[in-house]
Amino acid sequence: MKKYLILILVSIVLLCQSNSLAGENITTQGKFTLSGYVRDALNGEMLVGVTVYCPEIKTGAVTNVYGFYSLSLAPGKYALRYSYIGFNPVEKEINLDKNITLDINLQPVESVLGEVVIIGKRTDENVRAPEMSMVKLDIKTISKVPALLGEIDVVKVLQLLPGVQSTSEGSTGFSVRGGNSDQNLILLDEATIHNASHLIGFFSVFNNDAVKDVTLYKGDIPAAYGGRLSSLLDVRMKDGNAKKLGFTGSIGTVSSKLTIEGPIIKDRTTFLVSGRRTYADLFLPFAKDEDVRDNKLYFYDLNLKLSHVVNENDRLYLSGYSGRDTFKNQFASMGFGNSTGSFRWNHLFSKKLFFNLSLIYSNYNYELGTPEGDANSFKWTSRMRDYSARFDFTSYLSGKHTLRYGGTSMYHEFFPGTAYGLGSESAFNEFILPKQHALEHSLYASDEFKASQKLTLKYGLRLALFQNIGPGTYYSFDSNYEPVDSTVYGKGDIFNTYLSLEPRLAFTYLLSEVSSVKGSYSHTAQFLTLAQNSTAGTPLDIWFPATPNVKPQLCDQGSLGYFRNFEQNMFEVSLEGYYKYFRQVIDFRDHAQLLLNPYLEGELRIGTGYSYGIESMVRKNSGRLTGWVSYTYSRSFREIPEINDGNRYNAPYDKPHALNVVVNYDFSKRISASATWVYATGLPVTFPTGRAVIGNAIIPIYSNRNAYRMPDYHRLDVSVTLKGKEKPGKRWHGEWNLSVYNVYNRHNAWAINFTQDPQNPNVTYAEKTYLFAVVPAITYNFKF
Amino acid sequence: MKSLRYIIILFLAITGMYSCTERIDIPLDDSDVRLVVDGAITTDTSVQTVILSSTSSYYYNQLTPRVSGAQVSITDGSQTFALSEVEAGKYCTDAGVFGVPGRTYTLNIKLGSPIGGTTDYSAVSTLYPVVPLDSIALLFHPDWSEKGIWEVKCYVQEPPSVDFYRFLVLRNNVILTDSIDEWFVTDDKFFNGNYTNGATVAYLQQGTPQEGLNTGDTVTVEVNSIGKGYANFLWEAQAELRGSNPLFSGPPANVKGNITNGAVGYFAAYSTTRAYTLTPVFK
Repeated sequence: MKKYLILILVSIVLLCQSNSLAGENITTQGKFTLSGYVRDALNGEMLVGVTVYCPEIKTGAVTNVYGFYSLSLAPGKYALRYSYIGFNPVEKEINLDKNITLDINLQPVESVLGEVVIIGKRTDENVRAPEMSMVKLDIKTISKVPALLGEIDVVKVLQLLPGVQSTSEGSTGFSVRGGNSDQNLILLDEATIHNASHLIGFFSVFNNDAVKDVTLYKGDIPAAYGGRLSSLLDVRMKDGNAKKLGFTGSIGTVSSKLTIEGPIIKDRTTFLVSGRRTYADLFLPFAKDEDVRDNKLYFYDLNLKLSHVVNENDRLYLSGYSGRDTFKNQFASMGFGNSTGSFRWNHLFSKKLFFNLSLIYSNYNYELGTPEGDANSFKWTSRMRDYSARFDFTSYLSGKHTLRYGGTSMYHEFFPGTAYGLGSESAFNEFILPKQHALEHSLYASDEFKASQKLTLKYGLRLALFQNIGPGTYYSFDSNYEPVDSTVYGKGDIFNTYLSLEPRLAFTYLLSEVSSVKGSYSHTAQFLTLAQNSTAGTPLDIWFPATPNVKPQLCDQGSLGYFRNFEQNMFEVSLEGYYKYFRQVIDFRDHAQLLLNPYLEGELRIGTGYSYGIESMVRKNSGRLTGWVSYTYSRSFREIPEINDGNRYNAPYDKPHALNVVVNYDFSKRISASATWVYATGLPVTFPTGRAVIGNAIIPIYSNRNAYRMPDYHRLDVSVTLKGKEKPGKRWHGEWNLSVYNVYNRHNAWAINFTQDPQNPNVTYAEKTYLFAVVPAITYNFKF
Repeated sequence: MKSLRYIIILFLAITGMYSCTERIDIPLDDSDVRLVVDGAITTDTSVQTVILSSTSSYYYNQLTPRVSGAQVSITDGSQTFALSEVEAGKYCTDAGVFGVPGRTYTLNIKLGSPIGGTTDYSAVSTLYPVVPLDSIALLFHPDWSEKGIWEVKCYVQEPPSVDFYRFLVLRNNVILTDSIDEWFVTDDKFFNGNYTNGATVAYLQQGTPQEGLNTGDTVTVEVNSIGKGYANFLWEAQAELRGSNPLFSGPPANVKGNITNGAVGYFAAYSTTRAYTLTPVFK
């Protein structure tokens, strides 16, 4: 079966490929190829997703994540238009009588702001692009949104988009279309980030000064990626300024950042180094509470990137990230963080065949403990590591077909936890949870087929193979989930294999020049799950693999959408509906013990789930006033035989109504203001519906799981940005950003607890904990 | 694992820097009335007690109604002890009844009038032996909190079997930890078979009249060897009593007891051992 499937994949690729590999100058069906890279004229950064469009024949291409495009056309003269959000479009006339390489530099639009009210023309990507359920954010849009404590955060801006919800107040955890937060594949320059949050979720690991581009796929995940059910968040780091040495930085309320980038060899080798460190703990010595004063509490991020153009056909990229949180007080200390690295090689086999090879490393670990010298002294560590390689081909066969295919291979190492006593005084034994290892491979092929001027089809297939490999110890469980037996596997023993065949289908049909209908279907499988039972989670939550006991979680998703642009693409309107069906979905038993539990798998309960929803959005991308309004109606349910007496219950992130308003207004070239207002139904919760008195305690008797809701959530944030005066020849560019989070001081519930009145223990009442009242912040950003 | 609590406290301290609490009005529905059983048989030679009550609405704001007029007995298979109602809902054996380690006890209840459609309830518990404590010690930390904190340490050779313990602290023979959420309940996962060289079993706040010590006060630690079922019951009850937060807490859930026919609560069997020490001169 397996071999047969691989054969199908390979033959699809070869069939489509045979004529394109024939040679560079031999044209297919008498066509020539126009190809090249598109860059930002100011800093030489490659631009991702630039539309290259030829209006006469209504055909075009889009630059890939490395800024490369390729378009095959019949010989002739063409007028081409290169357009991209936030940049002035460039029009080129070419005479295609041979294969042409044409690199384009686009000027950012900001340089003309102020004099012109309508800034260039927006592209019609919303209507025309063959993707749906996808959002792309450029860093300029992100940096205009008011932020908590002035810390601009990529993930928090994503949470303002339809279908994306924060998992808890102030948290960077997010739920996409009713899924769990561990169902999002988060990649930073292709390396998986296993825990994308700092502090206790208030900030994400992405330092926006080092980020070029963020794309979120909420459905319709490209066949090149898999292993998660709900979404793919693809974050790409900047390559570094190819033109001149530049410094970017900010001094903020909680952190400071500095980025240095520039050419090592002009236009060939660039570097970027970006660092961020918080200094909340520097203020702790002023705290009123003596116990707080000695606490240490900070995090840092370090991003590194080297890019090198070897020659016309070869480019090399080296990216690295390291970030760490440290908490420490007199009783305990804790540290956690990610480190990732990726090496990539782009090669053009021909102007029509783009190749990328990536070698990727990713690590997440934490350690915590108490000071040495006591009977209770201990240290506890946990680690997860991935080594992977992937190759991707993009074959621009003709104007009609773009073929993508490739494969990945990944080795997972899970060291879920080791705890041991520290020093001779300690009474603790060494306690080691069994290590686990797994292999995850995939092969994929997909074709983007412009069937006619109106219809574009995308179809693909991903074949994923997951294997548990020794060394490892596996427990088997009886019908009561009690461990009964264990098996020890030796190094290299493959003792379990799951195969998943994942079709991806999508179409885009242009109803007119300004409107389209799109649809997609995808099947996805997830082999790794985060042992997280709370809504926000902590850095201690560990990932565990599918095993003979735990089948992979599966999801089928179908979406249908209508897209329309108005007023020469100034307004984009989209309406999308989706339905998702989950199989073998994992939840946890009541009172599950997920930390340092060797029998974790006995805490899992398996069932089904489904989500559906309608997402609508109106977005304005040009003019003085920009922003969007989105409204989503969605539901998400689960049905698991051993939970809630087998009755259907609301999934943890089921929020029926969500409304987001994001506006930015440019008063002048120097002053702009932004505001966001969010509204969402409260998360489902379980509340007591009775009491039993045992001893002196009032033990609650609970409702069905998730039968109640937290109060509705809403909040208004505003910010003002003041830029310094621009003078010709001035190198230093500075701007002040003042922001206020939660302007009207809404006490949004973070937790609701029921407690006994200390005066009269028979009286119980509900008490809510809220995190942020009005939080003002000031940040100074600079660039030189 | 006590140390895990430090970590939780550490996390909550961070959120605490920003967080505030306030009362909120949350209307709640009522679930069906169920029988509540709170009883135990111990190795102490004394009166063994079972308390019967019923559940009420969550905002009942009075003691829940006691259940009178039931026939209650405890049997170990060969001997049966009848319990008589000494006050409303409180059923006691005669004096001098005690449990024997290794035996399995069954509690039988027959109600005068049905609750939840049934009058018959029962529960089974096995009594586990306990290893006598070598000694206990008090360690004063003057710099922890404003008035200092006493750490109560315990010295015992832990046996190689899988065991579960409950620790209670008494000051001058009056129990200080008188509610489920104040008990220290632990398994031996991290120190199985070891000599617990002063493992902490309790902290006493010197600053509070409830827990503060004077020189010469007798501090007693009582250890109960409890079964896994009762330990789970207490852990689950503690988790619900200590409140929840979005970081660590899963969805709240009912505390699973060992009484049949849907009744709430636990009938426990456990053995008891004690050790005491005198409060030293301090400061």
